[in-house]
Amino acid sequence: MAEPNPIEAPVENGLTDPLEFAAALSRSFAQTQDIDHTVRQALAQIVALLRVEAGAIFLLDEMQANLVCRASAGPVDVTGLSVPNGSGIVGRAVAEDSIQVVEHAYQDQGFFAEADRKTGFVTRSILAAPMSVGRSAIGAVEVLNKQNGKPFNTKDQNLLRVVAASSALAISNARMADRLVAQERLQREVELAAEIQRHLLPAEEDENSPISGLLRPIQEVSGDFYDHFELPDGTIAFAIGDVSGKGLNASLLMSQTASLFRCLGKTVRDPARLMSILNREICATVSRGMFVTMISGLYEPATGRLRFANAGHIPPLLRRPNHRSVEMPADSPPLGILPGSKYETEEVNLDGAQFILCTDGVTEFRFGDEELGTEGLDMLIDTARGKPIAQRLNAVVEELQRAGWRSRDDLTLLAIDDGMAARSVEQRAESERDTPDPSDFLFGLSFPADPKRLKLVRPAIRAAAEACGFDENETDDVLLAAGEAIENIIVHAYGNRRGEIALAVHRMADGLMLRIRDFAPNVDPAKIQPRKLEDVRPGGLGTHFIRAVMDDATFIPLPDGEGNLLELIKRKR
Amino acid sequence: MAVASVTEQSGRTVVALSGEIDMEEAPKVRRALLDSLKQKRDVLVDLSQVTYIDSSGIASLIEGLQAARKQKNDLALVSVSQRARRVLELARLDKVFTIHADLATALAAAKG
Repeated sequence: MAEPNPIEAPVENGLTDPLEFAAALSRSFAQTQDIDHTVRQALAQIVALLRVEAGAIFLLDEMQANLVCRASAGPVDVTGLSVPNGSGIVGRAVAEDSIQVVEHAYQDQGFFAEADRKTGFVTRSILAAPMSVGRSAIGAVEVLNKQNGKPFNTKDQNLLRVVAASSALAISNARMADRLVAQERLQREVELAAEIQRHLLPAEEDENSPISGLLRPIQEVSGDFYDHFELPDGTIAFAIGDVSGKGLNASLLMSQTASLFRCLGKTVRDPARLMSILNREICATVSRGMFVTMISGLYEPATGRLRFANAGHIPPLLRRPNHRSVEMPADSPPLGILPGSKYETEEVNLDGAQFILCTDGVTEFRFGDEELGTEGLDMLIDTARGKPIAQRLNAVVEELQRAGWRSRDDLTLLAIDDGMAARSVEQRAESERDTPDPSDFLFGLSFPADPKRLKLVRPAIRAAAEACGFDENETDDVLLAAGEAIENIIVHAYGNRRGEIALAVHRMADGLMLRIRDFAPNVDPAKIQPRKLEDVRPGGLGTHFIRAVMDDATFIPLPDGEGNLLELIKRKR
Repeated sequence: MAVASVTEQSGRTVVALSGEIDMEEAPKVRRALLDSLKQKRDVLVDLSQVTYIDSSGIASLIEGLQAARKQKNDLALVSVSQRARRVLELARLDKVFTIHADLATALAAAKG
């Protein structure tokens, strides 16, 4: 720091005129970069000028409880000495906002003799002037013991008033400038951090995407994050996280975690392993006591397959159509606590279900004493039933705010709607579905809904698949899918009662199309649910097989009472 | 002929399946497996001659496995054909069943 400009020596220059002294003092304050140094110099000058033994400047502390000596001149340095506000002669000067002239200190009841006892100094006479800016007092300046034993005169009082006024202004300006600089720096940092965070969030441009998220920070920066991005094979990597704590530290840890996920999520295809790596990284850098709860995973829109790992985060909500929603709890600890923590990959086939993730800002939404909880969230997701998932998430937050619910935390939602993935596949199928050319119609079969007929139908389908150029494995897959579809009709559409099944087989430019029709009451495709594969019990795996081996499986709407038409398409690689 | 034979070899019951295991045949497989378990011996299911198996067939195998475990016996698969393996993998059950390369290996494997 540059050496502060010394005040022009008023005494040597004969500057005894208060106005000239004030001018010199103001210039010095204007030029200085070190307010304490300048205040001390001003005090030294006034001590010399007034021919007193000592001088001191006292400032009110933040709580206005004490007057603390900020600068002193004389035989004893009393800088730091604290006097209770209202005590002593300085206290009286501040309280009464008037200059105090005391000829015999020890005869004045207000004198604060404690200071003398502490320092060994003997105070005789005192002149104290209050310092204030506008109407608010900031402290006082006092000088002690006129050297020739004379009382303080009017000229002395005027000079001290000048010193008090200039110093008050300079100190106040310096304080304001410091605050502004600090505020601006903090504001710039916060804005920068908020900007960085916004860029870490996905753009959410495609309203028809089966995955969507939203984040509403409570302050400018957030300790929450979420992300999702598509990998080259169509798999979607996603994550949601919540950093313990709030403010800049939390947001920096959030940014670090989000960046790590962005980076690692592109190559690490095992959620549990990804979590282990993230945990190690965060443990290595995190400041003590902070941690991150997080769920990350991989979702395949083409099959509905979902794999994820949960590090101490609120359990995901699995909402299957026509089923009670279930939470999927986790036992693994949050990231950033122990470097060796173990994480596990859980797998589920969504099969048209919704997978909802949130941070506790959502579940802790409050209305009076009532807390929203996972159950409340589950109900609210249906506010905009039938709309794309992005709209449904917005509707949740809007509905809560409209109803007067309040949250004290950042709130983040991330949802996968596998039903939308299926729909978008269907829509694509619709647009790509040309009316089959009559010449490509290979054959049609009509047969009773009876397991005994399966064996008779398969050879025909096998021959068709081979004729379309599929290899042996692909042909077997087509047979499997067709067989499962027919079995589904026997069991689910006709309920093992008598009925008829019609099969039409078409050749396509790039593959094979099977249309399988029944004449039973309409089947809600969402109700043909494959069971959870983890849950090993005998039961229908058929729908899962169909989705796994065929490129398209679509129920084509038929008028009510006309039965069901399932279209299966297998394309050549 | 979904169930080709049921024999006893080295203290284990070997159930050999063949042909197409679909909704029509699966109940026969199920019955054969549950019947063979009455001997309270471990069961080996030979799939070498299986040309087609679907979810119904898989369900029968799972039911057999569960019944075996319940009575503290094992039910393992032997000589799983390529087709059967594909379907087991699709169902992600290839790790649930013990699978032996062939009958000789299976019989040599330590009991238990």
